[in-house]
Amino acid sequence: MSGDMAIIKPEVMKSFVWLQTADGSIQQVEEEVAMFCPMICREVLQSGMGSSKNYAIPLPSRVNPAILSLILDYCRFHQIPGRSNKERKSFDEKFIRIDTKRLCELTSAADSLQLKPLVDLTSRALARMIEGKTPEEIRETFHLPDDLTEEEKLEPLRNTADDPRIRLLNRLYARKRKELKEKEKLKNVEVEEEPVDERSVDDLLSFINGGNGDSKSVRPPKSKKKNRRKKDQLKDHCSNNGNNNHEELDALSSKSHGDLNGNVFVASPSRTSKLRDVADDTYSPKLEFDDDIDDELDPAMKEELDREVEDFARRLNSDWPQRMQEILSLGQERRSVPVAINGNGSLRRYSRMIGPKINLRYSYCETSPVARTDLTRSLQTITVDDTRKA
Amino acid sequence: METGSDRAPDIISNLPLNVIEGILMCLPLRDAVRTSILSRKWRYRWTTIPQLVFDDTCVPVTSSSLAVTKTKFVSFVDRALLLHRGPIQKFKLSISYLQSCPDIDQWILFLSWRNVKEISLELEEKEWYKVPSCLFSCQYLTHLELFRCEVHPPPTFKGFSNLKSLSFQQSYFENGVVESILSSCPILESFTLTYFDTLSMNICAPNLKYLRLEGEFKDICLENTPLLETICIALYMTEEIADHLEATTTCNLIKALGNVPALERLVAESYFVKYLSVKSVPSKLALKYEHLKKLELYQVGFEDVNEISVAICLLVCSPNLEELLFSASSDNEACIGPDMDYWDKQHPIDCSFKRLQIVNMTDMSGVPDEMEFTKFLLAKSPVLKTMSIKSSTYLTVEGAWDMLIELLGFPRASPQARIIYIQDNTMT
Repeated sequence: MSGDMAIIKPEVMKSFVWLQTADGSIQQVEEEVAMFCPMICREVLQSGMGSSKNYAIPLPSRVNPAILSLILDYCRFHQIPGRSNKERKSFDEKFIRIDTKRLCELTSAADSLQLKPLVDLTSRALARMIEGKTPEEIRETFHLPDDLTEEEKLEPLRNTADDPRIRLLNRLYARKRKELKEKEKLKNVEVEEEPVDERSVDDLLSFINGGNGDSKSVRPPKSKKKNRRKKDQLKDHCSNNGNNNHEELDALSSKSHGDLNGNVFVASPSRTSKLRDVADDTYSPKLEFDDDIDDELDPAMKEELDREVEDFARRLNSDWPQRMQEILSLGQERRSVPVAINGNGSLRRYSRMIGPKINLRYSYCETSPVARTDLTRSLQTITVDDTRKA
Repeated sequence: METGSDRAPDIISNLPLNVIEGILMCLPLRDAVRTSILSRKWRYRWTTIPQLVFDDTCVPVTSSSLAVTKTKFVSFVDRALLLHRGPIQKFKLSISYLQSCPDIDQWILFLSWRNVKEISLELEEKEWYKVPSCLFSCQYLTHLELFRCEVHPPPTFKGFSNLKSLSFQQSYFENGVVESILSSCPILESFTLTYFDTLSMNICAPNLKYLRLEGEFKDICLENTPLLETICIALYMTEEIADHLEATTTCNLIKALGNVPALERLVAESYFVKYLSVKSVPSKLALKYEHLKKLELYQVGFEDVNEISVAICLLVCSPNLEELLFSASSDNEACIGPDMDYWDKQHPIDCSFKRLQIVNMTDMSGVPDEMEFTKFLLAKSPVLKTMSIKSSTYLTVEGAWDMLIELLGFPRASPQARIIYIQDNTMT
């Protein structure tokens, strides 16, 4: 009997760790699995605990037996080396498909065992339950008490920053809204009238151009300087197109124009659409971080309002496509510039190869319009290359 | 008001603070800030998260004009910073519609007082943002990442003594500024510089482990980089650089790679191999890359014997190399035929790539020197497992047949070597 023990014992000693949960129950766990938790690993190595039932490692109170068995499943899978990332990911995905309450308990327990990968995994899962949801939905999911008064909810969040521009624009919106409501009423009583107020856009204009000593304005000379640099990038071929938009704008208003120095509305279309995708404004407007006074506004009316503001923006920006045109035509001009070829023919070697090798650059340019000048350059070289081959 | 008695108990609010912070950091900042109206316990939970990432998602795009969106964004950042408590580990600004404005300068000043450790700035794409001088007084910075910035350190700049990772992308500097910044970051481990115009770079960074350069460089000299493990360089060609290479009299290979004994991975893209091939490639370097396991050479021009020599020289100096990836960029017109003089006499005959198991070649057009190189690899790699060859899109069907027939005849030093031929599907 004792002989048997002598044979088995080292095995047992070596490969199992004894763990005790807060409810007093004790269990033995394969060493390599248990040691995957840094907290247990430290206990074993530093204090020599866990080697027998009498020296079971007491686990933090946040780890109950049910959660412990979940955690050990996680460790058992991930402690095996050589699994592919794909395998691990798919395991993780399945692993977190548990009810929200258990997910929270698991997060807490994993944190107490310092099992960071699991904490990250469950935290991400919990974050997904919050992201883009309304406060009501979140409260529902996690059984949060709705214990703030409406007043308190607004208090720290509403737009206290006293921005005259927003105030003015809101006033304009409000007026417009009133007008539209009137219009709607009139329509309802079948009276046709023409209440369109042409001034509204001008109002917008004058408010934006109003130059109310705005500290946020971009220093125009600086922008010009930068435009000049971009111009340099174009190797001086784009003469003075950089400042065109400023001039155009200046023509639009003789006063200073706040922070709207021409580039304001020139968002690249792709970015704008991306932004739209992201915008899921599910919180009720009055709880917005930025209070927009969109209260009880008929969507149709709102749409009309927005169209008007956008139209105005377009007017301000009418020079942008023009500018693009200029850049493109510059590219064409440069096509006729031959790539220098010197006598000994070796430069020819380099320049001829500019063509096939630009693919890397092309993709780079796609993501970074500062390098767009290089796209133009590359396009030229492609053309040069092609003509030569032909 | 509703009390907890008739509801199931709150299941998340009592998680430890660090866990809740972790959850909040997984959220876009806007969602994190919005948790403040959930309940009393959540009221100011977000205000201690150590990482603040301000991006396009912070302000929803309604149909209001961009000017309003911008103003909202600025005010969002202002208020988030005002309400934030505790240390700010990381501040990231990645916003597609905001340009240089005094607000940003003020945010950075604020951060410099809060001992920020990581800053990343990426503004609208059409302008350079001139970073304020206060950025250079952020002594606690460990990570700095700037996109499209104008970087002028003030004369009082003493260096970033804690900086480990530095990345300048498409940024603008005056001459010597990059080197002076590098030399004043004593523990720098990672350095990225992309899209840089015509410049000579001397890099002295005794703790550097990772280096990535991309742009139009005239000279790249790694002077003091004893710990450098990873090098990724993509070099672009301009007429000016071509002229410069013509006039070069020193060996670029030795200057760039002659002093990196700890190299584990080399990625050469675009014209970097061409650059290395300038002026008399030695058949061997003075050092061996004992740790180099993976070598990636892209767009190697096989019409130029010197470029082939660079590839072979690197192979010969890497006794433990296991994987070779490369793509050819051969100019068919310039390839008259294999330079048999080179293949018969000059290239090292007695070498053997004892650990090389995987060779992956793409954009092969079957020009004679490519074939000679392939033959050479097959003959010198006794433990080769697979060699995959992907043809160039320009290769005709007849060309591919010729290439395959020739390939079949090459002797292989490794009995287990498999050759996998992949035809580019775009060309039929």
